[in-house]
Amino acid sequence: MSDPTLILRVRNLTARIATRKEEIHAVRGISFDIAAGEAVGFVGESGCGKSVTARAIMRLAPEGTSIALGGSVDFMGQDLLQLDEKAMRDLRGRRIAMVFQDPMTSLNPVMTIGSQIDDIVRRHTELRGRAIRQRTVELLNLVGIPNPERRADNHPHQFSGGMRQRVLIAIAISCDPDLLIADEPTTALDVTVQAQILRLLMRLREERGMSLMLITHDFGVVAGMVERVNVMYRGEIVESGSVERVFAEPAHEYTRALLHAVPRLDTAGRVL
Amino acid sequence: MIRVVLTRFAWTLVILLGVSFVAFMLMRALPGDFAIAAAGSQSVSPEVLDAIRRDLGLDRPLLEQYFLWLGHALTGDLGRSFVTKQPVLSELPARFVVTFQLTLIAAIIAMTMGIATGLASARMRGRTDWFVRIYNGLILAVPNFVVATLIVLLAGLYFPQLSIFNYTPFLSDPIANLGSLLLPAFSLALAVSVTISENTRAAVLEISSQDFVMVARAKGLLPRTVLRNYLVRNALTPIITVTGLQVASLLGGSILVETIFAIPGMGQYLFDSINSRDYPVIQAIVVLAASVVILVNMLVDIAYARVDARVKA
Repeated sequence: MSDPTLILRVRNLTARIATRKEEIHAVRGISFDIAAGEAVGFVGESGCGKSVTARAIMRLAPEGTSIALGGSVDFMGQDLLQLDEKAMRDLRGRRIAMVFQDPMTSLNPVMTIGSQIDDIVRRHTELRGRAIRQRTVELLNLVGIPNPERRADNHPHQFSGGMRQRVLIAIAISCDPDLLIADEPTTALDVTVQAQILRLLMRLREERGMSLMLITHDFGVVAGMVERVNVMYRGEIVESGSVERVFAEPAHEYTRALLHAVPRLDTAGRVL
Repeated sequence: MIRVVLTRFAWTLVILLGVSFVAFMLMRALPGDFAIAAAGSQSVSPEVLDAIRRDLGLDRPLLEQYFLWLGHALTGDLGRSFVTKQPVLSELPARFVVTFQLTLIAAIIAMTMGIATGLASARMRGRTDWFVRIYNGLILAVPNFVVATLIVLLAGLYFPQLSIFNYTPFLSDPIANLGSLLLPAFSLALAVSVTISENTRAAVLEISSQDFVMVARAKGLLPRTVLRNYLVRNALTPIITVTGLQVASLLGGSILVETIFAIPGMGQYLFDSINSRDYPVIQAIVVLAASVVILVNMLVDIAYARVDARVKA
């Protein structure tokens, strides 16, 4: 890689999803960079290919489908699309981690919260025995779970949605990843909890100097969170630039439409 | 946990009482005269029949008869067989042990085969899935007495050294006993294994598409860890449910299988007793079989609570 400060360099990425019935060109040749410690937003309506882009980087296809990938995903000097599944598994969760959209369904209901953090710590670190649980409790504390020692033995159904998302963030940062992909991390949460989770993500990113790829359909979420933003539409990046620039003078028609779709408080409404 | 067990146990006792009542009344509702069956012949004088009725308490009100029977049953007296004139309890335990052994072996075979084929079907898909599903459909379509008869026929023709009709009691030779139960248990297990297989397949497929499985893969966990802790542990609840429900059909199937393979178990005993209208024996077996099914269901409920922490009381 020419630029050592770049952590991710995606070139001409394509993703075709093959289900039993049809084939969808979900991502049509997109290119972007993410620098070390940088936060980049991906904005677009649902179905625009932003989640597929995230899954493509992780090389995770949903059960029962297969994704054909093209182009290159250069992650710290190695092309992820060329790695075999075993090497990919060693990398997932350790160097690239992901936070998913729906915390209510993202935790295993029959395992305790603690053991779901224990297993990733055991998989990717040298820690063994009681040191694992110590690390788990530390992580729960870090993401703001009160009484972490006791709560680690609870099951997911004893946690609220916001608390579960904190647990999923604890899982994601457990092995100090270089890149954290957050795919609509606040969409399923109510507004006050959304702000807490976003603040937590910001704090962790600053403390650990990790890069953040924040995927959302909500311009309001990216505004305070990222330096640069890529606007996606129908599998392509239609506009990219600094958040200030894209907000102030959107170049693409779609970006303007998307910005318009955000309800605003400063323009007078009309009484229906 | 202890509360779960105690609550379930209390309920089990209530249900058992109801079952014994229904079984008792059903027996009385059957056409045919108890006294004639007890006398063992149609051509008995009315005076003798009256004497038998008095002796068996048949002249009293039904409800009183039930409580008399219940009282005797609770103190370990299930009456005497009309045929052998021996106490039912002198024969039933030995018969029960044989059937218990047979159904236990069958349950183990059914669970192993069912879970293995169901898992393979759901995980490998493609040709394996195809094969398993066609096989399942085929077995399900054939009643188990046909399968049992075919097994007897084929084994008798091609493997005469298996000596299928030679039941050996456990105490005289445990190994030979196991050998003599293997084929019957297998024919009893086949249909049940298919039901377990189909349910396992459906459960694993449904759980495969859950978000938490994607999260587990995104953690970089090894495939075997994902399979064991995320897929199988969640699929276990529906698997336990069907297996528990199938115990009843195993007991029912044992009547046919024991008769076909000439195994002196409870099923064969029941079959013979029905043929000779030996009411006390029939009644004892019905209550005993119902108790076993209810007890197994209680164990299933307790197993739920152990597998899934969301299940409480």
